[in-house]
Amino acid sequence: MLWLCIQLPKLPLEALVRAHRAGDDAPLAVTQNSLIIEANNAAYTHNIEPGLSIATACAYCAELQLLDRDREREEQLLQHLAQWAYSFTPVVSPRSAESEKNQPDSNFACLYLEISGSLKAHRGLAPLLQQLGKELHKMRISHSMGLGHSPSAAHLLSQLPEHRQWLAETRSAPTPQQWRQWISFAPSKFLDCSHTAITKLYACGIKRVSQLLAIPLSEVGGRFGHSFIDYLARLNGTRPDPIPSFEPPAEFDSELFFPSPLDNSEQLLFPAGRLVRELCRQLQRRQLYSQRLCWTLDYGSRGSQQVTVDISQPLLDPQRLIALTKLQFERVTLKEPVQALALKCQQLQAIESHSLREDFFDEGSKQHESYQLIDKLKARLGHQALSAVTLKESYLPEQAWQNADSLTLHSKARGHQLTPVHAPRPNWLLSRPDRIQQRDHKLFYDGELRLLQGPERIDGYWWQHHRHARDYYIARGEQGSLYWVFQDLTSEHWFLHGVYS
Amino acid sequence: MQQLLARPDIWQLASGQRRPRTGISTGYRGLDALLAGHGWPRAATTELLVDKAGIGEMSLILPTLAELTRQGRMVILVNPPHIPYAPALAQAGVQLEKLLILHPRGQRDQLWAAEQSLQSGACGALIQWQGKETHADKDLRRLQLAARDGDCLHFHFRPGSCAQTPSPAALRLQLKSDGEQLALHLFKQLSGKSGQRLHLARNPDLVRQDQPLH
Repeated sequence: MLWLCIQLPKLPLEALVRAHRAGDDAPLAVTQNSLIIEANNAAYTHNIEPGLSIATACAYCAELQLLDRDREREEQLLQHLAQWAYSFTPVVSPRSAESEKNQPDSNFACLYLEISGSLKAHRGLAPLLQQLGKELHKMRISHSMGLGHSPSAAHLLSQLPEHRQWLAETRSAPTPQQWRQWISFAPSKFLDCSHTAITKLYACGIKRVSQLLAIPLSEVGGRFGHSFIDYLARLNGTRPDPIPSFEPPAEFDSELFFPSPLDNSEQLLFPAGRLVRELCRQLQRRQLYSQRLCWTLDYGSRGSQQVTVDISQPLLDPQRLIALTKLQFERVTLKEPVQALALKCQQLQAIESHSLREDFFDEGSKQHESYQLIDKLKARLGHQALSAVTLKESYLPEQAWQNADSLTLHSKARGHQLTPVHAPRPNWLLSRPDRIQQRDHKLFYDGELRLLQGPERIDGYWWQHHRHARDYYIARGEQGSLYWVFQDLTSEHWFLHGVYS
Repeated sequence: MQQLLARPDIWQLASGQRRPRTGISTGYRGLDALLAGHGWPRAATTELLVDKAGIGEMSLILPTLAELTRQGRMVILVNPPHIPYAPALAQAGVQLEKLLILHPRGQRDQLWAAEQSLQSGACGALIQWQGKETHADKDLRRLQLAARDGDCLHFHFRPGSCAQTPSPAALRLQLKSDGEQLALHLFKQLSGKSGQRLHLARNPDLVRQDQPLH
């Protein structure tokens, strides 16, 4: 077992400012109970650090922006990072930040990863750690790592600067003796227990874990309680150290929050691009694809707006997804400044190998092009502007066809093919039959109509209330147009129903 | 000299009969014989000027559309005047799963959709109907260029009054009815003769005159 603990010390700040561009350097600080708990680099240059009161901080730096801590967003971001970590190893466990009442956090949020099974795939420990660090850096999440034989040990060691130094240079996992040395060398304040217990330890003069381990366990138990003994045993590796395992949901959900709301839709494209790239990375790792991207523009207290992008084929290319999203955003008029942008993808489907296969022959690429075209049209014109037609089994002319989803456009022909009737039928059907004027036994529609052929009687649904009994004729207008007209047998009115164009 | 002969915009009088087929067959022999490429001009706009629906204007292009869908190319109809009736199209041999109908709202969206589809290269033919709105000359030119880039047949149905205004289309046909037949008047053709007239008979099943029953 090889446990990696990734500490996320700046999560309260990052959950709020992740949407910022890298160049933004306005001093920012996150507050909780009128204390500063986290500040960005620009604020640090003004000597603002966690633990100051708001008044002091504002005195140091007049243009300091203050943001309230948002625990929900932190939790979302942590879940999101757990999903990201899940792509490296199947055993992941996120742990939220804990704080005692009215205190700054005693423990930062962190992620535990069991990486013994992932070493081979990444060609060793060092490349794996580098890859993790690189991606966290890309997501602009500051972190510190620790390696241990149990989660508790990893958590302890991730706070030890010497261990972190060693981890940056190491090539292989350490031996158990080395671990024991690390742990006993660690100061007691890094132990994962309550403040009162730590002050007690220092009161006894126990400044390093080695001193604690030298005392007989029964003595320690009498002083600090059984749970502390249990913790020490897990730290030592003499007892198993179970932690809850993370199960990724089969959906993608990520949100970016803008501290200064955006008021035009072009500005949305940059954060949208970042979300799409995150989505694509994750989908690629899990070999899934999504047929619909749901964007939510959050106007804060004034509600929100949904924008959906439909995708007809497995598509993992962020550039193209961003292009489709851009087409959609161009149509959106922002009612209010946008405070947050969220991307949700539900119902992720597994990619089947044959659907991604692109051949060098014409058919595959043509298919690909037509899918791209359909997606583009849908993005700009909306879903309802595209349709296709198919045959349907029915006596009634207006029910012998139906609208089909344009996505079935390229499905292979089904085995059961309907055959159309063999009577001559018009190319155009009017959406509603048009009434024809009658005067002294003559029909007038754009001039006098002459009946050429007929009647063809279509009498359906006589067993129901609304009987359809019609005599159809082909008629020629004065200008040579051919029409499909019928006489309704119940009302004896004449109607135009189709055009032989 | 060879270069000059190869230019499509220079029309050679002598080689009228020996030209190879460069167009896409219309399905009507008489019409093929009149057209410069022995068929609809490939990758270009064909304007069909019609004032009255129902004289056989769709039947004129249906054989070509059916052939394209059989080859697996997509056919797109932009804002058709009525519902394309599936049983009739299936009878004509059109593979319905290759037919896509677009209803863009407003002229800007309509032109955008047409241009994108023509350019995409995924589409075999695009049929467009001009209603009451008028298209500027630069829009028509853009559509023509898009059809050229995407190697796509572009049929543009326009009202007969447009015959007076020039247009960049490669082929312009005026369609009228002489009572029984469809009368074509070919009044513009790039790299070919124009001014010919042709009458095409309608489907005999349609124009057969029954004896009245009573």
